[in-house]
Order: sequence, then C-alpha cells, then structure tokens
Amino acid sequence: MIALPVVKIPAAAKTRAWRSLPHLNQEEDYAAVNQEEFLPGAGDGPGSESRRHFLQLLGASMALAGLSACRRPVERIMPFADQPEERIPGVPLYYATAMPLRGSVQPVLVKSHDGRPTKVEPNPKHPTAAPGTSVFAQASILSLYDPDRSRYIRRGGSRASWDDFLALAQRLGRGNRRVAVLAGETTSPTILALRDQLVASFPNASWVTYRPEGDNNEALGLQTAFGQRLRAQYHFDEAEVIVSLDADFLGAASRNATHAAQSFAKGRRLSSPGSTMSRLYVVESAYTTTGSMADHRHRMAAADIGTFANSIAAELGIIAPEFAVPDAAAQAIADDLQRAGTRGVILAGEHQPVEVHALCAAINSTLNGVGTTVSLLALGDTPDTASLSDLIEDMHAGEVDVLLMLGVNPVYDAPPALNFTQALSRVGDSIHVGMHEDETAQKATWHIPVAHYLEAWGDGRAFDGTQSVLQPLIAPLYAEAKSHIEVLGALVDSTARSGYDLVRATWQETLGTPFETRWRKVVHDGFLSDTGYSAVTPPVEAVRAANAGYGELDVVFRLDPTLLDGRFANNAWCQELPDPVTKIVWDNVAVMSPQTAAALQVTAKYKKGRYEVDLITLSAGGQSVELPIWIMPGHADRSISVSLGYGRTLVSHRAHRKTPIWDTGDKTDIYGQGALCTGVGQNVSVLRDERATAIRSNVAVTPTGRKYRIVTTQDHGVLDVTARPLVRIATLDEYRDNPAFVLDHEAPTPGQDQKTRFEDYPTLWEDQHPERSAAIRDSSYYRNQWGMTIDLNACNGCNACIVACQAENNVQVVGKTEVGNGRELHWLRLDRYFISHGDENLTEAPQMVLQPMPCQHCENAPCESVCPVAATVHSPDGTNQMIYNRCIGTRYCANNCPYKVRRYNFFNWSKHIPPTVQMAQNPNVSVRFRGVMEKCSFCIQRIRGAQKQAKLEDRLLARDEVSTACQDACAADAIVFGDLNDAQSQVSLERRNARSYTMLAELNIRPRVSYLARVRNPNSELEPA
Amino acid sequence: MADTHTTDAPHQEAPLVTGNLGIREITQLVSYHTEKRPPSTWYMAFAVSSTLLAVLLVMIAYLFWNGVGVWGNNNPVGWGWPIVNFVFWVGIGHAGTLISAILFLFRQRWRTAINRSAEAMTLFAVICALLFPTIHVGRVWVIYWTLPLPNQMEMWPQFKSPLLWDVFAVSVYFTVSLIFWYVGLIPDLGTLRDRARSAFRRRIMAFFALGWTGANRHWRNYEKTYLLLAALATPLVLSVHSVVSFDFAVSIIPGWHTTIFPPYFVAGAIFSGFAMVMTLLIIARKVYGIRNIITMDHLEKMAIIILVTGTMVGFAYITEFFIAWYSQVEYEQYAFLNRATGPYAWAYWIMMSCNLLFPQFFWIKRLRRSIPFLFITSIIVNIGMWFERFVITVISLHRDFLPSSWDYFNPTIVDILTLIGSFGLFLTLFLIFLRFLPMVAMAEVKMVLPEADPHHYEKH
Repeated sequence: MIALPVVKIPAAAKTRAWRSLPHLNQEEDYAAVNQEEFLPGAGDGPGSESRRHFLQLLGASMALAGLSACRRPVERIMPFADQPEERIPGVPLYYATAMPLRGSVQPVLVKSHDGRPTKVEPNPKHPTAAPGTSVFAQASILSLYDPDRSRYIRRGGSRASWDDFLALAQRLGRGNRRVAVLAGETTSPTILALRDQLVASFPNASWVTYRPEGDNNEALGLQTAFGQRLRAQYHFDEAEVIVSLDADFLGAASRNATHAAQSFAKGRRLSSPGSTMSRLYVVESAYTTTGSMADHRHRMAAADIGTFANSIAAELGIIAPEFAVPDAAAQAIADDLQRAGTRGVILAGEHQPVEVHALCAAINSTLNGVGTTVSLLALGDTPDTASLSDLIEDMHAGEVDVLLMLGVNPVYDAPPALNFTQALSRVGDSIHVGMHEDETAQKATWHIPVAHYLEAWGDGRAFDGTQSVLQPLIAPLYAEAKSHIEVLGALVDSTARSGYDLVRATWQETLGTPFETRWRKVVHDGFLSDTGYSAVTPPVEAVRAANAGYGELDVVFRLDPTLLDGRFANNAWCQELPDPVTKIVWDNVAVMSPQTAAALQVTAKYKKGRYEVDLITLSAGGQSVELPIWIMPGHADRSISVSLGYGRTLVSHRAHRKTPIWDTGDKTDIYGQGALCTGVGQNVSVLRDERATAIRSNVAVTPTGRKYRIVTTQDHGVLDVTARPLVRIATLDEYRDNPAFVLDHEAPTPGQDQKTRFEDYPTLWEDQHPERSAAIRDSSYYRNQWGMTIDLNACNGCNACIVACQAENNVQVVGKTEVGNGRELHWLRLDRYFISHGDENLTEAPQMVLQPMPCQHCENAPCESVCPVAATVHSPDGTNQMIYNRCIGTRYCANNCPYKVRRYNFFNWSKHIPPTVQMAQNPNVSVRFRGVMEKCSFCIQRIRGAQKQAKLEDRLLARDEVSTACQDACAADAIVFGDLNDAQSQVSLERRNARSYTMLAELNIRPRVSYLARVRNPNSELEPA
Repeated sequence: MADTHTTDAPHQEAPLVTGNLGIREITQLVSYHTEKRPPSTWYMAFAVSSTLLAVLLVMIAYLFWNGVGVWGNNNPVGWGWPIVNFVFWVGIGHAGTLISAILFLFRQRWRTAINRSAEAMTLFAVICALLFPTIHVGRVWVIYWTLPLPNQMEMWPQFKSPLLWDVFAVSVYFTVSLIFWYVGLIPDLGTLRDRARSAFRRRIMAFFALGWTGANRHWRNYEKTYLLLAALATPLVLSVHSVVSFDFAVSIIPGWHTTIFPPYFVAGAIFSGFAMVMTLLIIARKVYGIRNIITMDHLEKMAIIILVTGTMVGFAYITEFFIAWYSQVEYEQYAFLNRATGPYAWAYWIMMSCNLLFPQFFWIKRLRRSIPFLFITSIIVNIGMWFERFVITVISLHRDFLPSSWDYFNPTIVDILTLIGSFGLFLTLFLIFLRFLPMVAMAEVKMVLPEADPHHYEKH
C-alpha cells in the first residue's frame, strides 16, 4: 500500500473566521480536506506518492489487468500493398502437384483459395490422363487440416527443437554408427538419392521398405515369372475378356485405381447397340465393387483361388493338365480367354500369393496380351534387399543405434510375432516422422511432425513412371513440421537444408540446362513428360502351379476402401464414407457369408433401423481380436474378410468437450472427444503371421455371445427390378434385340401410347413455366438448361464422387451415432441394390448394382410446391435451388422428395468445427446452420463462376465448360454434366443414348438426371439365354 | 335415435335436465363452482397438470437450445411425433365447434349441457395443436415468415404450400371458435357478475359481460349473433381438418397421396373430439356433481356419434387398401402392405382395433350406458386416433419409393415427454376454465327446461 500523506494543520491564527463547529474544533477530517484550494493531492505532480499517483497506478494496473485477460488477436484486413502476380482475392488458383500414395504419386491439380488449398482435382495434362481422382486424393485435403496433427518435435515425450535433432545428426556423423531407415514405399528420386548418400555416409546403414499390408505379391509374382523387376499396367479398354482372380482392381485402395476405372469404363461404354463391350469374370472371396461390375461372378474362398488359377492355366496348356479340376467356370473362362487371345487379360488380387500372380503373368504372356491389354513396365531401380525381419532381429540384438521411421507406424501394424515394440526399446535413438503422435510416436524416443504433401517440396513417379515435382501450396501449418526429404537430408549431412534445395539439387541432374526454364515448366505442369518406365516384353522364365487350399476357415486381410492402412483413419470424411459394399461407417467388421454365419451360429439382426450384430473373437498366434460380424450375400464360404486400418490410438492435445446437461454439443461434436479415430474399430493386423501374409488359415473363431451396434447408411435389400425399375438392366443380347428395353419398364402413360415417355406428358405448370417468361428467354445467363447423365455401365461405385462432393460443398460429418439416427449429410449417395435373376437362391450370388444418387433436379420438383416460404425454388436454367437463408426447416420438402436426397441439419454441425478444419471449407459455398435443409446443387457455384468468367471475357459459355465436383472426380467418366439446350453437348449425346432413362418418370416430375441402363455381357456357355 | 324414454313414452321427448332442477337450482349448481374454493381433487389435478406443463416448457427450451435433432426425426421420416401430435390435437379440437355450431343449427337441444366445456376444450386443444407446427420447424425464430407480412424484399410466403393453408385454416378456426365461445359466455358472465360478492370480482365479470342486462334487446342481438356465428363456424369444422389432410394428400408419397383424406380426416377428428369430450365430462360431472345436467342420455348420444364416425373411419381404412390394390401401382400397394405387415405393424393394428373394433361395442345399449365402459372406450379411441396419425405420418415416410433410403423411426425421450407435456398444457388450461368459468352454459340449459317452453312440450 502507498501511504497517503495527511496535510498538517497550520498553526492557529489570531483572528479566526469559522464556518462550522467541526471547522472551529479543527476536527481532523475536516481540517484535512479544507485547508487547500483543491482537494489534497489534486495538485500534486505525477511523480510523488500521492493519491493521484495511487489512482494512476490503480488505473494503469486495472487497464493492464484487463488487457492481459483480453487476448483477442488483433485482426487487420488490409489489401496487398503489392498484389502478388495473378492473385485476385476471391478467385481461386490451381497448382499442379502430386499425391504420394502406395509408392507412386497421383497427379493432381489443387485449388487454392487465397493461399488455402481446398480441393483436389485431376491433372488433365498428365500422360496417364486419368480423368478422375481417387477417394484418397480427394480426402487428403482434410488430412492437411486434421486438428490432431502433431505440432512439435518431441524427444522422450517432451518438447525439443529442430536444432536438437541436428545436434543428434551431428553426433552421429562422428563414428561408425549403425543407422537404419524404415520407410514406406517411395519412388521419389530425391529420397532415393538421399538413400544412396545415407548408405555412403553410414556404410552400415540399412534401408527397409515397410508395407503395412505385407509383401507386394504382384511385383514378386512378376519377378518370379519374368526374372526382373516389373510393374503391370492393365489397359482394360483393349480387352475383350477380363478375368479377375480376387483382384479388386477398381477399388479405391488399388494401386492404379483411376487408370483401371478409366480404361475399364472405356471398354464398357455402349454408345449404340452396335458397340462392343468387354466381358468381366470375377472370382473372389469378398464382394467388392469390382465384383459388382462382373458379368459372371463366382464366390470362392481366397485360399481356393490358387487351384482355380491352376485350372485355367492347365486348360491353356501353361502348366501340366493334371492341375485342371473339373470346373465348368474355369473351363469356360479358359475357353473365353483363348478365344480373346491378345484381347484377353487375367489378373490376381494383391492378397493372393506370389504363385498366383506368376501364373497370371504367364497366362497374359501366353495370350500375347503383353503390349495390348497389359504393359509390363521395367522399374529399373535397385530392389530392396534388406528385410524387415532381419532389421528387427538386429534391433532386438541392440545393434541398431539409430532407427529412422519415415511415415510408417510399425508399432500399430507390424506383425506381432516380430515383437517390434520390444525391439524398438533396444534402439539407441528411434526417430518417428509422422503426421500424428501415433502408436509408434508414443514408443519412439524422437518424434518429428511431418509436413503434408501440400506443405512441402517433393517429387515422385506416377504409376507409369512419369516423374513429378510436388510443390507446396501452403507453408506448414505447424512451423516445426518437416518433410521426409528434410529429415533425411539432415541425417545425411547434419545440416538443415530446405526441401526446396534438396529437390532442386536432384532435378538439376535430371533436367540439365537451361535448368531454371525447365524446372519452372515441370513445376507448372506438375510432371516431366517422357519419363515413364519403359515397357518391355520379356519371356516367361519360370512358372509353377500355385499351392492348393489352406485350412478350415481363412481370414483375409484387406486394405480398407475408406481408410487404406489406417493413414486416413483420423480423416472424418473417410470415417464417415460408407464402405462401398457393406455401407458401414465408423467401424470394421468380420465379413462372412450367410452360410458361414449359420455354421458359426452368429447373426446380424436388423432391428429398428440399426444392426445388432454378434461379436466374435478371432484368435491366431496367441493374439485375439474381438470383432463384430457382418453377413454379406455373395461372400465366399469358409472365409472371413477383415479390414486393416482401424483400432488406432492417437495422442490428441485437444480438450474433450464437456457441455452442461442441457446442451447436446458434447454428444454431437465429432471433434469433441479427442482424436476421432481413437477407439473406432479394432486393429486386426495383430492377427497376421510374421510375414504379414494376407490370407491366414486356421484362425480360431469363437462367438462371444455379446452384441454390438453397427451403423450403415443403407439397409440390405433385394430389388425387384420388375416392380421397382429403379435400376434397369439387360444382357447385351437383349439390348441388341431391343435397344429401347429401358422403356419396357416405364409405367403406361394415361391416354398415350405405351412407348411415350413421360417427358411428353403435359404438366400442371405448362403455362407458367419459367422458361417461357420473356426475361428468362432473352437472358444470356439463362440460355443453358443443365442436366446430368450417369452411366451405370461405367460407374463402379468407388466413392470418389462422394468425397469430392463433400469437399466441394462443405458437407459436414455427423459421427456414428447420428448416422445411426439416419442423419448423414452426404449430398450424393451410392445406392446399393442386390438383384436376383430368376429363382436362384437369393443369398447365394446376387448381383450387386451401385447407383449414384444426387438430387435429380426435377423440372416439376415436388419439393418446391410444398415449401411454405419459397426456400427451394427453380432457377431459370433448370436447377432446383436451396435458399438456405430463407429456409425455416419444416422438412416438408424432404418428405415430398421421392428420391429422399434432401439432407437436414438436425443439429448445428458447423458450430464446433476446429479452426483448422474451417480452413478446409470452400469459401464459395455457404456453411449451413442448424435447422436448414440442404442438398445437391449441381455445384451451382461452379456454374455461376464459369458464367461470370465468360461474361468478363465477353463470350458465351463454351460447350461442356462447366463440370461438377463429382464429375471431375469420376475416373470412369460415368457422370456427365452439361447443357441440354446444346444438342451437341456431351450430356445431350448421352441423353439420346438408347439406354437412357429417368427414374420414377411416371410421377411426372421430369428429373434432370438420367441414368444409362446397365448392360451385362454374359457368356452364353455359362448362362444360356 | 334409440332412447329409453322415447320407448317408454313415444309421444314425449325425454327431459334434458333430470332431477327436477329449476332455474334457480341450475344457476346455483353451476355458478357455485366458480365462486367457492375448488375441491381438493381440483388441486391435485392442477398440481399434476401444471407439473406436466412445466415438463413441456423444459422440453421446448431444450429443443430450442439444441435443435430438432433432440427428436427421433431422421432422413426419410422428416415429420415425426410433433406433426402426429399436431394432427391429433387439431382433431380433438373438432368436437367443440361441431357441438356448438352444427348441432345448434340442427336444433339438437341436448347439446346445451355439453357445449360450453366442449368449446373450451376445442380452444385448448387448438392451442396445443398450434404449438407443434411452431416448434417443429428448424429455425423457430423465423417462423413468422410463414405469415404474409409486408416486407422490404417483397418476399411472400409460397401460397402453393399446404403448410401455409394450414396456417390460415387453423388460425381462422381458432379465432372464430374463440369468438363463438366468448359470445356464448356473455349471459352467464352477467349472471356471475350479479352474484359476485366482492367488488373486484364484480368489476372483472362486469368488464367481460359487456354490460349484459338480460334486456329483451340484448337477448335478440345475442341470439342473432350466435346464429350467425354458428353459420360461420360450420364450414370451418369441415374445412380445418380437410386442409390439415391436404398436408398429406397434396404430396406425392404413397400412403399420403390419397383423395379420400379430407372426409376421412374430418370423420376422424369428430370421432376423437367426441371421445375427448366424453373423457373429460365423465370426470367433471362426477367431481362437480352435475349429473343431472350432463345426463346419461347425453353420454349415450355422444357414444352413438363415436360409433358412427368410428365406422366411417374404419371404412376409410379399408377403402385405402382397396384403392391401393386397384391402382396396380407397386409403390402404392407396398405402402399399404407395409403398414399392415411391416416393422410398424403393431402400430397399425393398435389403430385398427382401437378405432374400428372398439367403438363397435356401442351397438350394445347396455355398454353405451355404462360409465366405466364409456370412459375406457373414450380413452382407447384417442389412443387409436393418435396411432392413426402416427401410421399415416411415420409409416408412409419410412419406406417410400427408393428402398435404399428406407429407415426406421425411433422416438426419443424428448418426443415422449413433449407429448405428455402437451397434455399438461391442455389439462392446465381446462382446469383453469373449470375454476373460473361456468362449465355448463347456464342460460342455454335454462332454455331447454320445461318451464322455458310455453307450450309444455306440446307438439304443433
């Protein structure tokens, strides 16, 4: 406290005038205040200890105390003093880069909104020329903004700095230390160069390529067959007969999914009844999306497929005839392949053993298909000699001083028999470089956060070998994040070199002079042309029959179609993406056939909108995992399929949301419970043997007697295509006999000819149709009439469109419980139907069809007439629009939608989105508030954007200039969008295809989305007409 | 109409008021309850109902704070319990005006004993009904956009939407019912004013009695007004529920898109309305000892109306099935088959047995004059009618055209407590009415006494 001075009473004067008794008596208080002109202290200078001073201090400390509590960051919105070239605020820019995935890079263009990457698009100029992108490329945007990403370099669990790591590298530099690197598959020239440098500086160094899914049997099979390192690239458009032996080549997890989807669709697209299409045989254990495209699908346990392959090879005379088993299917397939000759191709699934792959390679070679249906690309690089088990043995022995783990998570997914975790504890310095503080990061001594591929310089080779430079679109969100290249570079020569310099150094050699010009072109284009692997036609060296079946019950481990090996587990879009076949979200299950389930006496009951399924324990090699079961018609008997990538445990530094009892926020916020992948599903990788073989036999299965709730976006259901012609389907012969077969399913039009389409039927609103109003007829803005076609012969149900739509349109994620309550928000869904032909056993082998279902943009939209506030209206250019601002949320429109494509915000999903995830939102699309309806808008922001651009350039929209997000993402080109007023636009051409039909036309709602009917091409030997 | 007394003496109409009550006794019997402390039963009932009302308010606050997701509504089933409850309460709100207006125009003099409380019940039921569409929208703070209010954007509601028709139909119905009820109250309020002991009570009653003196001129004006209002309210009885049924009938969903809905909904509404009047009056006449005014004959007449309308509703159910079969449309056929055999079959069969089967017992005279049976049946009918709306709303929505979008609807605890709470609102209002206003239209009952008839029941 500051002592306040008390003014002294002056000596008594002779003559006194006084005002009051207290004054006269000189009472202290009175005197104190009354002797000066001003109140005491009022005239004091600021320096002394006075009341004034006290008040100053008091005021200042109050003000400062207030300031310290008030930490609102200062935000200034200012224009650029010097505007960066080509950058216009609000106008997105596209940069070419590539996404590394499973050892190759996928070329992409990334959209950047004011410096913030928001959307991945295909790179149309890339030599692979795949029109679409994979699910994972689309989802990678959200991984960039993952709120649980690791932010700091850590040593022994506490914060460390990059300099500390450099110091470690420096210490290593002296002395002959044993350094080992455990890295994911990579083709990056810079990483491979650094690998060589590493081996040069540490002679004892070992480099092990780590594949969480196990050995690359396909590559090993090709090596067995041809004696060299090859990669097979299939061109299904060249093929007449395609045989898949458990190969889900169209599935999202497949290494070359986009090219496969594109070329396969090309061979199936029937523009007229005269066109030809390929025939696809699929012999598989689990029902996959590839199986759904099959003309003939045979379910067969994964372990038995070797025998089947033997049989085909024996029929074709490649191996001894005694391997041929009397199997009508194998016979017919072999005959068909023989007939097709160079136009026949056979391929095996990733989890099939090496011998099956080798057999397939030999068959393709025998058919002379190499060069037409399949290109064999010579990889030319040095093979990895070091094996994981050797490395781990050394680690156990304490011989490894430094272990660098680049983007791998072996504590989570290494086979338990190798005892990796224990081995890791014997390593001197274990360095984990990864996106998250994951299982391995928690056990390693060092953890370095890795920069996302959109944040760092890098390079790599596409599946065909074309080299790409990966350019960053944004500085690392977390300053301490480093790229793999930078960490390796630091380890090699203990100096901090930037990734940019390292990549340029590698490319200096590749590009030669004039370097700068060439470099700029490569960075701009995203690739360097003519750098693909060379195609070769080597002779078959060795071929032997595959081993016959395994045990009683096999478990097949697959990469998950939505999470891959778990690296997308913390990506909310991927978790909520329904499995393309089972439609399960937020869980992994043990998939089995109805027969196997009956034998195991387990059930999956559908009750009140939810599945209550039995839990089983799978045990093998001393490990056991408890999994919910799933019964899938068409799955092979004696076989169980499980997905890798679940059961993750991440450290999240975000607080758990805890809201008061009246607030459901903590229950509905998917980001509110720490890392979102923690506790989702079970880690099945522990059941694998020490070689991580994908098929494991003799796994013990015991029902636990307990139940578990599984959430799907769709119920099981067999569709009666005659009664409900939602999916229309015919064989090729039927189609050729009756090209207008789709019309046979139409309901009769009252008063009209049977074959009249409902489009010709009058409507209630004929007189006041918007197109007829003068203002619209004459506006250049509205000269287009938008429409869409979806070719069911091309669509393979890969899910990429769903994620693309989610990224483009800010579709929120609602979590398992709310999906279970039927409140998922996906604007586009893939409807799955099982179709049975004839009276065969329904659960034995039903055909599966996946049908993309966006808003149909009906011309006579039933949703519009029922909205009391006109919140959903028709645009003059023919789209059904949702005006979020006007919507009051009666949900009447959703009720009256016959396709049920409208989605409602039951809670305020956007309220708690973490700040980083907010950055992933597309600024051109409103983020919807609670209580409003939303749905597919035909990407209206893209239409208007293109129109605005055309207007600025004073021209009309070019033909097919506008595309929707789903269309761009579709590798199979199944979705076509465009102007129906333009008779030559792609969509108009497709609409005139004889296979074109609209769903529920008899309601006279005139949907703007038409489907092209599915046509099957069965083998008449196997399926007599 | 079958009636004991007509059988006994066919030339005579049965007395509508029994127990030889005179004009004075009726005044005393009815007014007394608004003037004394209510019976302890009233307090207990009020405690329960106001607790339920509090539950309703808490549920609404919870809903407004969090959003519509606190209910069980989901993607195919956009309308769940709130709309079921809305249609249910609107239906109940039909009996009052029917009794007041239509029976008045048809000179059904027995209505006088029950019309006051039936009208009050109508108003309270319509208040409950109006609550639900209001709270069921996602953004309740902009609900006024459904009203045609002039605004600077010149943005009007969308007049093609049946929901908008609802807004008009139900609010007009409420307004007219309120005026009708109030006009009927004026002579009785005059009586209460004249009987009032305290000046305060007298002033309040005097205000609401609008200066009623019982003068001849007043009676003339009163009866003219009442007749005109009855004529005005009569079409509303038919229109409100017809318009409510348009919410469903105008849509294209199988099970909703049905032209039979307007008459079928009106019949159902009268059916449930009478059942609710019966439930309440059976209790009230016992508690308040007015069995001589609301007699067994009244109850029996209501039972007969329940029997007739219940049979009409049942006929409509069967007609729907026939039309679905006759249409040969897969979606239509499946929608109805799914009602009877699908996952909600239990709800369908509850509806069928409560609405079609149970009222058929009223063919038996002994049962329709049995108080316990009447009471139980009246409750069963209302359960059945709630399920009818559930069947129409939820079962039709949960499986429509595309099997891929089919799902199931599970109500949440909030759904259940909101429905229960709405009964709290209804009963609280009704109990307040019983406490402060004459539950029987005294003036009208006096008109049907023998002394009011100068011809002493002589027929001309």
